[in-house]
Amino acid sequence: MQQKVEGYPLKEYTTKICQIAKEALENREVTAIIGWRKKDFWWQSPVVFLEDPADVQQLVWDPFTIYSPVKFLLDWQESCAAKVGIFVKGCDSRGINRLLQDKRLERERVAVYGVPCGGKADAEKIRASFPSKEIKSVTLIGEELVLAVGEREERVKAEAYLLDKCLSCRHPNPVVYDKLVWEEVSPRQYADESRFARVQAVESLVTEERFAYWQRQFDRCIRCFACRNTCPACNCRVCIFDQAEPRWLGKANDPADTLNYHIIRAFHVAGRCFECGECERICPAGVPLQELNRKLIKGINDAYGDYEAGLDPTDVPPLGTYRGEDPAGFDES
Amino acid sequence: MKRIGVFICWCGSNIAATVDIDRVIAAAQKMSGVVYADQNKYTCSEIGQAMIKDAIKEYRLDRVVIGSCSPRMHENTFRKTVESAGLNPYYLEIANIREQCSWVHKDKEAGTAKAISLIRTAVAKAAMNEALFAAEMPITRRALVIGGGIAGIQAALDIADTGFEVDLVEREPSIGGRMAQLDKTFPTLDCSACILTPKMVDVAQHEKIKLITYAEVDKVEGYLGNFTVTIRSKARSVDLQKCIGCGECIAKCPSKVASEFEEGLVQRRAIYTPFPQAVPNKPAIDRAHCRFFTAGKCKVCQKVCPADAIDYEMADRLLTNQYGAIVVATGFDTHKLNNYGEYAYGKHPDVLTSLEFERLLNASGPTGGKILRPSDGKEPKTVAFIQCVGSRDKAKGNPYCAKICCMYTAKHAILLSEKVPGSKAFVFYIDVRTAGKDYEEFYTRAYEECGASYIKGNVSKVFPDGDKLLVRSVDVLSGALVELSVDMVVLAASVDARADAKELAQKLAVTVNAHKFFTEAHPKLRPVDTQTAGIFLAGMCQGPKDIPETVAQASAAAVKVAAIFSKQSLLGNPTVAEVEPKLCSGDLSCMAVCPYGAISEQVVEERRGREMVPRKIAQVNAALCQGCGACTVACRPGAINLKGFTNQQILAEVDAICL
Repeated sequence: MQQKVEGYPLKEYTTKICQIAKEALENREVTAIIGWRKKDFWWQSPVVFLEDPADVQQLVWDPFTIYSPVKFLLDWQESCAAKVGIFVKGCDSRGINRLLQDKRLERERVAVYGVPCGGKADAEKIRASFPSKEIKSVTLIGEELVLAVGEREERVKAEAYLLDKCLSCRHPNPVVYDKLVWEEVSPRQYADESRFARVQAVESLVTEERFAYWQRQFDRCIRCFACRNTCPACNCRVCIFDQAEPRWLGKANDPADTLNYHIIRAFHVAGRCFECGECERICPAGVPLQELNRKLIKGINDAYGDYEAGLDPTDVPPLGTYRGEDPAGFDES
Repeated sequence: MKRIGVFICWCGSNIAATVDIDRVIAAAQKMSGVVYADQNKYTCSEIGQAMIKDAIKEYRLDRVVIGSCSPRMHENTFRKTVESAGLNPYYLEIANIREQCSWVHKDKEAGTAKAISLIRTAVAKAAMNEALFAAEMPITRRALVIGGGIAGIQAALDIADTGFEVDLVEREPSIGGRMAQLDKTFPTLDCSACILTPKMVDVAQHEKIKLITYAEVDKVEGYLGNFTVTIRSKARSVDLQKCIGCGECIAKCPSKVASEFEEGLVQRRAIYTPFPQAVPNKPAIDRAHCRFFTAGKCKVCQKVCPADAIDYEMADRLLTNQYGAIVVATGFDTHKLNNYGEYAYGKHPDVLTSLEFERLLNASGPTGGKILRPSDGKEPKTVAFIQCVGSRDKAKGNPYCAKICCMYTAKHAILLSEKVPGSKAFVFYIDVRTAGKDYEEFYTRAYEECGASYIKGNVSKVFPDGDKLLVRSVDVLSGALVELSVDMVVLAASVDARADAKELAQKLAVTVNAHKFFTEAHPKLRPVDTQTAGIFLAGMCQGPKDIPETVAQASAAAVKVAAIFSKQSLLGNPTVAEVEPKLCSGDLSCMAVCPYGAISEQVVEERRGREMVPRKIAQVNAALCQGCGACTVACRPGAINLKGFTNQQILAEVDAICL
């Protein structure tokens, strides 16, 4: 148990966030706040834009504030010249660095409020154990998930109900921020081991099995592009898949085009993906996109030495440079 | 709709034997946009070219596809052909149906199908080809030669003799390089200094040559015709204008250090000229070993200097100059023998490298030209020469042949017999390689007239045996174990590229091979060009070679430079990258991968609502761009396109093959 059990009860977390947002809006430090709010159902805590200090009570911090708010910064910047405040978890903060390194974000136009994060809950896992309709609220206190189910209160070990991506999270604390909302947490002990476990499992298949495996995965893809849309590394002004001339991707539901899409997407984020796992989590068809991303990360680490994207926007990414000692691929000797 | 003409070449039987030309013509006639298709036995011949020109006029063709050999062979020929018929040369598209089809296939059926596919691909691209125009660029008519050995000296003299200005940069305090260290040269036994020093003096006196010694290239920017080079002129601590070269300072200097020129066999002073015939014959202070610079006290040289030329305050100076072309002639390092402990080099004073032995032979060397053992100063009566130490040795040294060792060892054996009467040379070899004019005769002389014994075999060990050295080997030809007791062992150490060759290559944006020798643009047809236009190679820096080859290459490089300078202006390459501003995200990953520094940031104004806002995007300097296409693959949104190879054109080709 690496998680600190002490700390704020959940309500106090939310209070703290509301307070920071309120102050920033009232002081005119920022003209808008990007955070999370509660929607109709217990498992919904989507991203919200607030401009009025009176609205900050809508903000929330709970086990479902999963969605990355970072990509919205691009739209914000395009739309006006004002400064915005944004709440970011550890994974989201690396998205900020992603945008900075890609020169897509003006740092001085963003106030970053870093929120150390103990992991987010997986609604599917909760539904498997508790009747969804009877759940009224879910809160995380220390390492315990506290559910209001009907009239009773259930306390369970949180770990069994967290998102898989949070279990392998190596950076639960924001890596870039102007203000840290509360004290930092420790990463989970087994995050490192689980990082490439799925990749290795696929690697162990023989070529034909591996191809069949990926064909099965991509067969389900409906090309909704949600994976691309949520990914902070997919931040081109005009994505090649949206271009008509040349037409990089056929419009028909052709397996070759789907395969083409996934390979190009994976290669476009190679060396740039910071493993937030939103692509895979958001996929309505359950395509294991993180396996593809991590396969490339593993390959890059093997070839060029360990590198983690999104930790330092000033570093030199291995695929964005050339060094004399880089493996050449061809041996001339 | 485009009017495309297709011309299929037989290339004698080269293509026609494996590809059914008639079927290819029939297929081509049905392809979209093709209005004419014909064949010729040799399209590159005058008749073949005339046929193309006539067809362009008669059928009003606006795109031409030629199915023939690789575009590397005749693309330029055919571009001129279509240009003379009034079309833009970039309307031409070549389908390589020889190297990539007929030459690699035996099955005529498969070969024909593939040829049709390749023609269809070229037709699809040709339909999208656009007119391209080369930009004119001015030329700076001044050359830079890097390295003042025999290669650099020859290149500088030849360029200067054509009337163009040359700057010759040398790292050491004097020009001369390796050749100055040699005693005699094979196969004529000319005295090396006697043929080299006149050339060194010519360099110093040539009105078109500016000599910059004790200096190194710091930074290279720009492109063919317009290089901007920063040269670091190292602090010599001696004012070359004032110094009269009297040598008083050298005589009085109290600090001694191993002489690089004498291969460490004797010591030189901290203020020194590398050798007596140095050009310029004026000293430099080696600050790392100077007593004043290391201990803060001394200044003897300043006290004795009659010309007041010593300047301890002198600092490195950066000179920035413009050049139109660069010749790289940086030479080689001798192979370090750390991996060859079995030969006792460094452990026993009478085990020498060939270059050290060369200094023993030389009249101005440490022994005044007498062959004497470093251990006891006695004349060696028996000397074992071991060949290929570090050469042709994949396991511990270089896999390649150093090329010069067989010949200089024959020379050493001959000179030994002349200098030490009654002496005997034993040469242990893998093979004796004597390809070169008069080389075989020279080698024959070594064993027939001078009594050298050649033993085919790798020496396994050399160890001291009293005041002698025991050499153990196998005579491969007889199978017998050989154990020889000799007075001296000479190791033919291999040659390496300069330790910092890769660093210089990066500054120049040229490539090196796996052994850090600079890579020529084509191993046969462009042996002195690099892949970077305007940068040429001469001498050992490109690979092992002897003096005649080095001089020939240097003169060849000089002609290449003169050819550039003889033009009024240069035509740029029209197949350069260009940026589509509305697609560019401005992350500049293209800039990071551009090997030519051709991409920079620019600010464009873009409409946002009612106002115009600035945005940073990439821009390509067409003069710097070499059209390599690295940027186009680094660009995720496909905003950067290579003219003549646009994304649209490539995708059309892919579709033509796959769909």
